[in-house]
Amino acid sequence: MDAQLKEWIARVHDAAEAGKALCIRGGGSKDFYGAVPVGELLDTTGYRGIVSYEPTELVVTVRAGTPLAELEAALKEKGQCLPFEPPHFGAGATVGGMVAAGLSGPRRAAVGAVRDYVLGVKLIDGKGGLLAFGGQVMKNVAGYDVPRLMAGSLGTLGLLTEISLKVLPLPMAGMTLRFAMTETEALKKLNEWGGKPLPIAASAWCDGALTVRLAGAFAAVRAAREALGGEEVADAGAFWQSLREQTHPFFAGDSPLWRVAVASVSPPLAQPGSTFVEWGGAQRWLRGELDAGQLRAIAAQCGGHATLFRADAESKARVGVFQPLSPVLARLHRNLKQAFDPAGVFNRGRMYPDY
Amino acid sequence: MQTNLADFIKDTPDGREADAILRTCVHCGFCTATCPTYQLLGDELDGPRGRIYLIKQMLEGKPVTEKTQLHLDRCLTCRSCETTCPSGVKYHRLLDIGRKVLNERVPRPLAQRLVRTALKEALPRPWIFRPAVAAGQLVRPLLPQVLSDKVPTSAPGQSRGWPEKSNHPRRMLVLAGCVQPGLAPNTNAATARLLDRIGITLFEAPEAGCCGALRFHLDAQEQALDDMRRNIDAWWPHVEQGVEAIVMTASGCGAHVKEYGLLLKDDPAYAAKAERIAALTLDISEVLAAEAEKLKPLLVTRQHPPLKLAFHSPCTLQHGQKIKGVVEELLQAAGVELTPVPDPHLCCGSAGTYSILQPALSKQLRDNKLAALNSGAPAAIVTANIGCQTHLQAGSAKPVRHWVEIIEERL
Amino acid sequence: MAFANDVRFPVDRREILGRLQAILPRHLVLAEEEELRPYECDGLTAYRALPLIVVLPETETQVGAILKACHELKVPLVPRGAATGLSGGAMPHEDGVVLSLARFKKILKIDPLSRTAVVQPGVRNLAVSEAAAPYGLYYAPDPSSQIACTIGGNVAENSGGVHCLKYGLTVHNVLKVRGFTINGEAVEFGAEALDAAGLDLLAIINGSEGLLAVITEVTVKLTPKPELAQVVLAYFDDVQKAGNAVADVIAAGIIPGGLEMMDKPATHAVEPYVKAGYDLDAEAVLLCESDGTPVEVAEEIERMKAVLEKSGATSLVVSQNEAERLRFWAGRKAAFPAVGRITPDYLCMDGTIPRKRLAEMLEAIADLSVKYGLRCANVFHAGDGNLHPLIMYDANQPGELERATAFGSEILELSVKLGGTITGEHGVGVEKVDLMAAQFTPAEISAFHRLKAAFDEKGLLNPGKGIPTLARCREYTQTRGAAAVTPPPRF
Ligand SMILES: Cc1cc2nc3c(=O)[nH]c(=O)nc-3n(C[C@H](O)[C@H](O)[C@H](O)COP(=O)(O)OP(=O)(O)OC[C@H]3O[C@@H](n4cnc5c(N)ncnc54)[C@H](O)[C@@H]3O)c2cc1C
Ligand code: SF4
Ligand code: SF4
Repeated sequence: MDAQLKEWIARVHDAAEAGKALCIRGGGSKDFYGAVPVGELLDTTGYRGIVSYEPTELVVTVRAGTPLAELEAALKEKGQCLPFEPPHFGAGATVGGMVAAGLSGPRRAAVGAVRDYVLGVKLIDGKGGLLAFGGQVMKNVAGYDVPRLMAGSLGTLGLLTEISLKVLPLPMAGMTLRFAMTETEALKKLNEWGGKPLPIAASAWCDGALTVRLAGAFAAVRAAREALGGEEVADAGAFWQSLREQTHPFFAGDSPLWRVAVASVSPPLAQPGSTFVEWGGAQRWLRGELDAGQLRAIAAQCGGHATLFRADAESKARVGVFQPLSPVLARLHRNLKQAFDPAGVFNRGRMYPDY
Repeated sequence: MQTNLADFIKDTPDGREADAILRTCVHCGFCTATCPTYQLLGDELDGPRGRIYLIKQMLEGKPVTEKTQLHLDRCLTCRSCETTCPSGVKYHRLLDIGRKVLNERVPRPLAQRLVRTALKEALPRPWIFRPAVAAGQLVRPLLPQVLSDKVPTSAPGQSRGWPEKSNHPRRMLVLAGCVQPGLAPNTNAATARLLDRIGITLFEAPEAGCCGALRFHLDAQEQALDDMRRNIDAWWPHVEQGVEAIVMTASGCGAHVKEYGLLLKDDPAYAAKAERIAALTLDISEVLAAEAEKLKPLLVTRQHPPLKLAFHSPCTLQHGQKIKGVVEELLQAAGVELTPVPDPHLCCGSAGTYSILQPALSKQLRDNKLAALNSGAPAAIVTANIGCQTHLQAGSAKPVRHWVEIIEERL
Repeated sequence: MAFANDVRFPVDRREILGRLQAILPRHLVLAEEEELRPYECDGLTAYRALPLIVVLPETETQVGAILKACHELKVPLVPRGAATGLSGGAMPHEDGVVLSLARFKKILKIDPLSRTAVVQPGVRNLAVSEAAAPYGLYYAPDPSSQIACTIGGNVAENSGGVHCLKYGLTVHNVLKVRGFTINGEAVEFGAEALDAAGLDLLAIINGSEGLLAVITEVTVKLTPKPELAQVVLAYFDDVQKAGNAVADVIAAGIIPGGLEMMDKPATHAVEPYVKAGYDLDAEAVLLCESDGTPVEVAEEIERMKAVLEKSGATSLVVSQNEAERLRFWAGRKAAFPAVGRITPDYLCMDGTIPRKRLAEMLEAIADLSVKYGLRCANVFHAGDGNLHPLIMYDANQPGELERATAFGSEILELSVKLGGTITGEHGVGVEKVDLMAAQFTPAEISAFHRLKAAFDEKGLLNPGKGIPTLARCREYTQTRGAAAVTPPPRF
């Protein structure tokens, strides 16, 4: 066994015994996300590298500390990609952090989320056990789907050490179109288009402009361009990148950033401050000091939930980062934590205070 | 599927046939999806796969009670399951054997026996049934709902009669059937007129009667075999004289007569003849499809107002005889617009005497079927079997007719 | 074969029967052996067990009450959909109740704008697509059993289909699941939004084989129907060439709408049923589908043909219209039961391996077929590397089932060795519960047990399935020998 893994196992053992918390950290690019990290730092960046990559199998296996940028470069070289366009939010983002944070970028509504591409994981659980779940094949229903459960678990269930991901060929053609319209119109159009076999890869609405990205075979993109109209945007790559990495002016400044996930058909959320709509209407970003209780009630009514995505520590502590769970779900969460990490070693309180 | 048939049946012809059928079933459950009773009741025991299992248990010598009887009684024998089954399980044959054994083992209560006897004695005899219909119309308000539904509200559709004299070298027999002459006399008459136009003389053999299906499915398989032998005797001289085919205008009868060979295979005196009769038997749609060259030009000679119809393909046509799309094509050739009908594979609930014996399920199926048939807003409904025709008519304000009448009218 | 469930419960039959009869009308509680027998197995008839009781509830309130009763009296409970499962997942427990969801068959809502459908768990997979068709939408995962299998069963097994390579498995197409925990509490996993707060419990409910919760409502995504779909049939004179062609297609950067394979025994079995016109002389046929706009399809079909030709296809046939395309697929979808025409019984394996090992695996299967003296037809979700060798046997011949099982185990153990898994989509059920030891270490198995306990502490939901007891694992390792059960180096 790799020396690094041995060392980690020992540390987990010790922490569990001493009742200490460990804070798992890759590049630290997502430190802002979730409750403020606590515990002794466990840095994963030393455990890195692509373990295997077979383009014809559409599968890559990497160590958790591998920089996301390194993985993406390797894929690109073979004409492939992580279609869900995970945000890096910083130069050092790692693949482990990408999976644990479970965040997906602009193409999510069209191609699926991180969790949809996770095929297998190896992890160290809260008792120091090194375990492997899932594997390197497309379909695998042996045992519970622990790999997908890890996506978005914010490291609360275990220390990911190795991850296998499904990858796909890069789209052959792309094009970006822009339309002037209100939020209500944009939501209507996006949902209508969603019901048609159009190669819409991503969408964004803000400030009276709807931007739509097409991706796919040349013929399909050409045909969709005809069908949709709008104005072609040259060099749109930077625009989409600014969404993915939240460098777009909408995300600038210090006022709190809320991420509201709702059914795509939900009407505009009627909140003060500005709105940015992504994912065909299913992801709405809001800026400003909003009433958390009210916003969460609205989100729930719209079939979703509201996350205080970026804010100061005080606000996060006061209203909680994530939408509170129903009593049954909260119990299941506690039980699962108990199952994977009984001593509460990993990322204590990062998701919910009692967990 | 693994089988272990009990000694009482293992080495009999029935036992061997049942075993072979059971063993082709791989328990995949596809058939449950298209079984009308499973779709309504959601109980494995009310679907083909469960019924096969119930029969298997019985043939393996396990105790049987009225519980098994109930679930087998609920089977419509529509054979939708057979159409669906990729493994080729001959479900209805297994059911026939199962029902026969069951009948010996689980006696029916008196009330049930009486109804069944009444049905199997009256229905197959036109001379009882025809006056009974007339009488029924008079006393209709007094009858219980189930039975009164069976009696048409008005006198049977007016028939323009058979062609005056038809004397073509090409001759075909047609089965008069038991209930059809009373309820829809124009069906055979229209068929005769139609065939006459394309150079075929149609005639009935007066001594022939009920095809046997009714009794066969009312716990009276032996009596049914007698019905079948009588028909064979009635037809045989004509067969020897070279009739081209024995035409069926009721698909229920057709499905049964086509099985004469199978059902009488163990009767040395009749086996060969039955085989020949079965081979000569054709549904009227098959006859017309073969004559399409001659028929089609006749159908375009006159201008007709547009007509929208919904076609209900009887189970005995689509599942029993596996005739699909043939009637539809003929109707379309006659300029009829057919409205789309959802779930066309499902039974209308008529199923011989089912509508009388299982009124609640039957009514539910009929309501669903009529809703499906009417969903495309047709002017009328057409079908290919007298049982379905009267059953649907009883619940429908729109006329329900035999499709062949429409073709004939459009010549 | 009676399955020796090593998880048993001391149950007072009369007590639980009384409780259930108080919850449900008489005709929805079955308790006589005559009525229970037909429930003794699912699509895998080799394993059977007689339940104590079968219940057929039709409302969520009833489901909640049934669960509560079972929970209080410590009675095991096995959920059941259409029982088309091929791993014995819905096989009853001899001390327990079978909870059939077959009467939950309402499509509650089809919303074309949000492209979602809300359905009860007993709704058939195909019925969802039929209901969505008027809006130009369909439910993408299409297991071959889609005519009959239920959405509840699909979620419980995370079922795949012939179009999964491009359109995903059940887990990728379900937004929300409503269900009940073992103690009778209602719970919702997922959301109408694309994700939900907290851990992704929806991900583990998919494929949980009825061990974590009883599903009573499912919200699925609907997908717009492509403008056009066409399938290429590529015939090969050698099965291994066909296997290699699969990897070649993917290597060419093509993600076909569907990529399936049947060998000669399989085409011979299905042709009499579907009359698709398959070339019966070919050793194998690949079905390779393209969908999209007409121009896109035309371009892609040309690329596919070029690759397939280069890979040694002896002839290529492209579907000329929708009816023909459906007929070509109908043969593939009916392949398992159609094999019932040429054998009284079969076991359907479900291993998944890396695509590039397909040819190697096919060769091994051919050898094993000789070794065990049993015929084998091969039907593959080739694009996913998911194999369905159908091992033909005759259950009436003493010893054949045992031989078939051993044959199957060797295939699955080899799947693990080749870097794959024992089950791609049919689930572990009872059939492969021992084989879990070939793929997972005792520590991993224990982790699964802990996960299960987080949902169902008393272990009442579908006990004995999916995850072996550690005792079973030890026994398996001892009888099969370490060689059979050592997965490739993992750490
Ligand atoms: C001919 C044939 C072809 C097949 N092809 C495919 C294929 O291509 N792809 C594929 O993936 N599978 C396939 N299968 C397997 C099977 O059809 C699927 O596993 C299907 O999803 C099972 O659905 P079902 O409704 O029959 O479930 P069942 O067999 O009744 O149950 C399956 C499992 O789900 C659980 N379950 C069922 N309903 C619920 C519920 N409401 N709540 C909780 N748990 C529940 C049961 O306990 C059991 O463990 C095939 C089967 C056959 C017979
Ligand atoms: S479809 Fe055929 S093989 Fe499958 S269960 Fe029904 S009868 Fe048996
Ligand atoms: S004959 Fe009809 S009612 Fe009877 S089992 Fe088959 S499909 Fe069901």
